[in-house]
Amino acid sequence: MARWRGPVLVDTNAIIEAWRVNAWRALCGGYALETVEECVIETQTGYQKRRPEQQIDRDTLLAGLKAAHTVLDAERAAALVRDGEIAMLDEGEKALWAHALARSDAWVLCGPDKASLRIGVRLNLRDRLISLERLLEDTGFRPKTALKSAYRQDWLSRTLVELAQREGKIA
Amino acid sequence: MANPLIGQRLKTLREEKKLSQDDLARLFGFKDRQTVSAIETGERRLSADELLLAVRELGAPLDYFTDPFRLVGEGRFNWRQSNVPPAVLGAYERVAGQIIAAFRTLGTEVGEKPPLVRHSLRLTKNSRFEDAAEAGERFAAEHTLGDVPAQRLAEVMERDLSILVLMVTPSHAGVSGAACRLPELDVVLINRDEVPGRRHFDLAHELFHILTWDAMPPVHVEDATETGGANRVEQLANSFASAVLMPARIVREAADWRSLREDALIARLNATADRLEVTSSALVWRLASLELLTKADARAIAASEAIRNNGHPTGLFADTRAAGRPALFSKRFVEIVARAVEEGRVSIRKIAGLLNLSVDDLGDLFAAHGVPAPYEL
Repeated sequence: MARWRGPVLVDTNAIIEAWRVNAWRALCGGYALETVEECVIETQTGYQKRRPEQQIDRDTLLAGLKAAHTVLDAERAAALVRDGEIAMLDEGEKALWAHALARSDAWVLCGPDKASLRIGVRLNLRDRLISLERLLEDTGFRPKTALKSAYRQDWLSRTLVELAQREGKIA
Repeated sequence: MANPLIGQRLKTLREEKKLSQDDLARLFGFKDRQTVSAIETGERRLSADELLLAVRELGAPLDYFTDPFRLVGEGRFNWRQSNVPPAVLGAYERVAGQIIAAFRTLGTEVGEKPPLVRHSLRLTKNSRFEDAAEAGERFAAEHTLGDVPAQRLAEVMERDLSILVLMVTPSHAGVSGAACRLPELDVVLINRDEVPGRRHFDLAHELFHILTWDAMPPVHVEDATETGGANRVEQLANSFASAVLMPARIVREAADWRSLREDALIARLNATADRLEVTSSALVWRLASLELLTKADARAIAASEAIRNNGHPTGLFADTRAAGRPALFSKRFVEIVARAVEEGRVSIRKIAGLLNLSVDDLGDLFAAHGVPAPYEL
């Protein structure tokens, strides 16, 4: 499949998983990765909410990103007014959606949590949601460590159908 | 996709600040107060600019208006504790409020309805201790709590009375438990790290508060004793709790208490308390109330080292309690969380943070309650 050439917004989960399977270098080599400051903080030791934690070097992480955006209060407010369900997300996920919804260009978002995907479905942005597996495959990289299920393309496809049905948004 | 929470929180904050709808209309630049009313009832959506104006002018953070995982202007607590600094208790109350708000919010998200009926006891501050004890006896009998009422009490409270019972690990070991009343939900929190006898007594004591909240609202903070100190409501709560956990029939059948002396009495006390999963001191006071022990004997025995830790050698009771420590929260709570996660109603990182767990610990939590884990993240 043709590799996406536009901005790729990655959340904390996607960054940590890419790091866990040693795919970060391939990922940032293949795409213009962007995130928000909250997600950068959440990838650091003590903030990951993971056991065990990945050792993610902040400088290396930032060097691989095209941008780590500051999210403005106005962007947060606009997102939460547009869909109050954004409040059901964690800080990084919430900030990334607030940033994404404020952009006017074409982006894709890699954030595997079902609640994050549900926001995309509710806001008719289903086509903007992409799996980590698909991003890596399109660069020709196959991680030696298997990705967890929520980062795989078949899981994403199934989950988007399930969420769309539940939200009454069957394509 | 209007966010009704924003209007509700705006109304709560306005009332807290003693502002009228006209005051808010002027602040927002609306022509009349009807627009404010429409926002508060969710009929009109607040724009992002108006929301930011509210944040700036009313001095509340954005999360105040949008975060469903906090209790705002609601939720009254009764804490049972020993020597917990007020600031520490206040901080933990906020944490507990988030957990309770999470249950309420996620329950609503997955389609659970709050209980239709709220149960109460026909007791007042003027009721006698004997009345409270009789109510406890009847509660145990009518809910068929069986020969060891402590074992089934939490299950009965959740199933029959729709009271959410949560086993928690508070930030301070001196927190024994709490009762919390919301408009549509009753909750009891119990420190799962306490010995079983104390946990069960706290549970039955808080049950009394839940069932008598309107007639005799409990104090915000009370000392965790089995005798209730000088506060009449707490004494009534303890009479009720004692009778629920130690019904007279069971206690009388356990021994010919009046005939036992010294070591034999202590040995039977400790053995009976272990069997009923209460503390020996609670049993001593129950025997006194049933006039199976004199008050003077009860005072002497209650102060005795021989019944400390139900007579187990020092540390043994403490060492073994971890094995019988209940799993965090409750099965009902965890089932709601699992459904909400599976349906994408809340993000895994969000709920893990609210419960002070890692994403990976959540899997252990589901397993501990035999609840199928949602998807792997």
